[in-house]
Amino acid sequence: MRWLSLMEKLRAPLMVLPAVALVVLLFFGGLVVGFSQSLGYFPAIGSFDLTLRYYGDVLTDNTFFESLWQTFRLALLSTVMSSVLAIALALVLRNTFKGSRFFTFMFQLSIPIPHLVAAAGIVLLVSQSGILARGAYALGLIDAPRNFPVMVFDRPGTAIQLTYLWKEVPFIGIVVLAILQGVGPQYEEIARTLGANAWQRFRYVLLPLILPGVLSTSIIVFAYVFASYEIPLLLGVRHPTTLPVLAFQSYQDPDLSLRPQAMAMSIILTLIAIVLLIVYKRLARYAVNS
Amino acid sequence: MTHVILRDLTRRFGGVTAVDRLNLEIKSGELVAFLGPSGCGKTTTLRMMTGLLLPTSGDVLFDNKSMVTVPTEKRGAVMVFQKHLLFPTMTIGQNVGFGLRMQGVHKREIERRVDEMLELVKLPGFAPRKAHELSGGQQQRVALARALVVHPKVLLLDEPLANLDANLRLEMRELIRSIQRELSITTVFVTHDQEEAVMLADRIALMFDGLLQQYAQPQDFYQRPSSVRVAHFFRNDNLLSGTRRGAEVETPLGTLQIDPSRMQQPDGKVLVTVRPEDVQLVPNPAEGNCVEAKVLLQVYMGTHTQVQLDLAGHTWMVHSPAHFQAQVGQTITVQLPASSIWLLPTS
Repeated sequence: MRWLSLMEKLRAPLMVLPAVALVVLLFFGGLVVGFSQSLGYFPAIGSFDLTLRYYGDVLTDNTFFESLWQTFRLALLSTVMSSVLAIALALVLRNTFKGSRFFTFMFQLSIPIPHLVAAAGIVLLVSQSGILARGAYALGLIDAPRNFPVMVFDRPGTAIQLTYLWKEVPFIGIVVLAILQGVGPQYEEIARTLGANAWQRFRYVLLPLILPGVLSTSIIVFAYVFASYEIPLLLGVRHPTTLPVLAFQSYQDPDLSLRPQAMAMSIILTLIAIVLLIVYKRLARYAVNS
Repeated sequence: MTHVILRDLTRRFGGVTAVDRLNLEIKSGELVAFLGPSGCGKTTTLRMMTGLLLPTSGDVLFDNKSMVTVPTEKRGAVMVFQKHLLFPTMTIGQNVGFGLRMQGVHKREIERRVDEMLELVKLPGFAPRKAHELSGGQQQRVALARALVVHPKVLLLDEPLANLDANLRLEMRELIRSIQRELSITTVFVTHDQEEAVMLADRIALMFDGLLQQYAQPQDFYQRPSSVRVAHFFRNDNLLSGTRRGAEVETPLGTLQIDPSRMQQPDGKVLVTVRPEDVQLVPNPAEGNCVEAKVLLQVYMGTHTQVQLDLAGHTWMVHSPAHFQAQVGQTITVQLPASSIWLLPTS
C-alpha cells in the first residue's frame, strides 16, 4: 500500500521529468559552458585561468552601452506599440459585423509565419526598391524610388519595428480577443446605464479585465524582442546594432580569443533581461492591483 | 420621480417582431412588473427603455421628453441584470460608487453615499470586500445599491431574483419593495413569475408574443382577466361556455345570475369562469347558482385540498378547505357566487 501511495505521489513529477530534463540540459548546460567561457575557462585556446577581465572589457566598451540602449529601445517600443494596437484591434474584432470572421482570420494569419519570412516581406514592402516606393513613384508622389524614406537599415530601426508589429500584434491580440469574448458585453452595458462614456467604460471596466492578459503576453514579447538577433541582423544598421547581434557576431568571429568576450556579453544580456522582466512583472502586478 | 410613456414601441429582429406597438404609461414612483413567459418581449422592452437597444419604431418618453436619441449613459435609466455582474476587479465600495465616480463626484462624497447605500441594503461595512467574498444574495443587494446610489430616473430590474433560492428571493422581494417605497423611484421589474409580480407591483403589464395582453393592478388579473390566455397564465382554467342575456347566463348547467358589476361582456356567446378559490362547496343545494358536480380527483396540498370536478363535461379545479373529504365519483353541490363569476370573450 505504501509503495502504491508513493507511486501515486511520484506519478506527476515522473511524467514531467523528460521535458524538464531536456530544458535543464539544453538551457543550464549551455549556460554553464557559456558562463565558464566568460570567466576565461576555454581549453580550446589553452585558457584555464578564471578571470573577470572579459566582463571588464565589455563593460568599459562604449559600443556595448550603445547596443544596450538600441536593444532596450527596440524591445520597449515594439512591446508598447504591439500591445496598444492589439487592444485596439481586439476591441473592433470582438463585435459581429459583416465580414468579421474574415477579418479575424486575416488578423491571426501572421501568427504561424516565421519571423524571417515576415522580415523578407517587410523588405519587399518598405525598402527603397520595394512595392511602396515603386507605387509612390508610379503615382508621381516621388521623383524616383530612391527618394522614398529610408526604412530599412536605418538608425531608428523602422523595418525591425514593423516586422515585430506584424508578428506580435496578433499574438497579443488573440489573447485579448479571447478575454473580451469571454467577458461579454454586459459589464459595459451596466457601466453605460450607470453613466460611463466610451472612454470611461474602456478605462475603468475593460482595461482592468484585459490587463493581466495583456501584461503576460507583452512580457513574452518583450523578452523575445530583447533577446532575438535575426531581425536586427537582417534589417538593422551595423552600428549601433543590438546586443544579441553584437554577441552573435563576436561568437562567430574566426578569432577564438574573442569567444570569452562574446560569452560575457551573452551572460550580461541574460542578466539584464532577467532584471528587466522582474521589474516589468512588479510594475505589471502593481498596475493590475491598483 | 419620472413619468414614463412607451408609445407604439416596436422592435423587430429580421422577420421576427419581438415587441409589437407597445403602449404603456408608468406613473411617477410606480413599480410596474413586465410579466410573461420567456421570449415575450419583456427584456427587449427594458433594453429599449435604457437605450441599449434602439426601437424599430415608436418612442420612449421620460417626463414627456423623447429619449430615443438620448444615449444610454445620459438617460438616467439604470439597469440591474439577472446576474449581479459586479465588476470583479473592484471592491464592493468601488462597485457601489462606480456611477458617482463616472459623474466626477468628490471622493469623500462618494464614500459617504456608498456607506449610506450599503446601510440601506443591509450590508454595512462591506465596502472593502471583494465580490467573490459575498454570497449570491449579498452580491445582488450590492448590484441594487450600485444602481440606487446614482438616484436613477428609472430603475430597471431584469429578473434580478431569478438566480436566488426561495428564501432569499422572498427576502429580496421585501427589500426591493420597501426601498422602492422609501425612495419613490419609478421602477420596472421584469419577471416570468406571476407570484413575484403580484407581490411586488403596483401594476402588471402581461405580455405574450410581443403583445401587451393586459395592463392592470394585480388583483384584476385574478378577478377580471381580459382573455382565456390571461386567466390561464394566472392558473385559472375553469371555463364553461354560455350565452349572456342581461344579468343571466344560460349554460349547460342551467341559468346563472351575474353581479351587475361584472357584466363587461355584451349579450351573446361568452365563456363563464370562476377562480378555483372562489367556487364554494356547499353541503346541500341552496339558492343562487348552485350546480351539481362529480368529484374526479382530490389532492391534499397542506393549506387546502385541490378538488378536480366534472361540471357538465367541463373539468374545473376547486380549492376547498384542507379538511374536505369526498369519494371519487361522488356527486356534490358547488356554488358559483354571482359576485365571483367573470365573463370572457369566446375568441
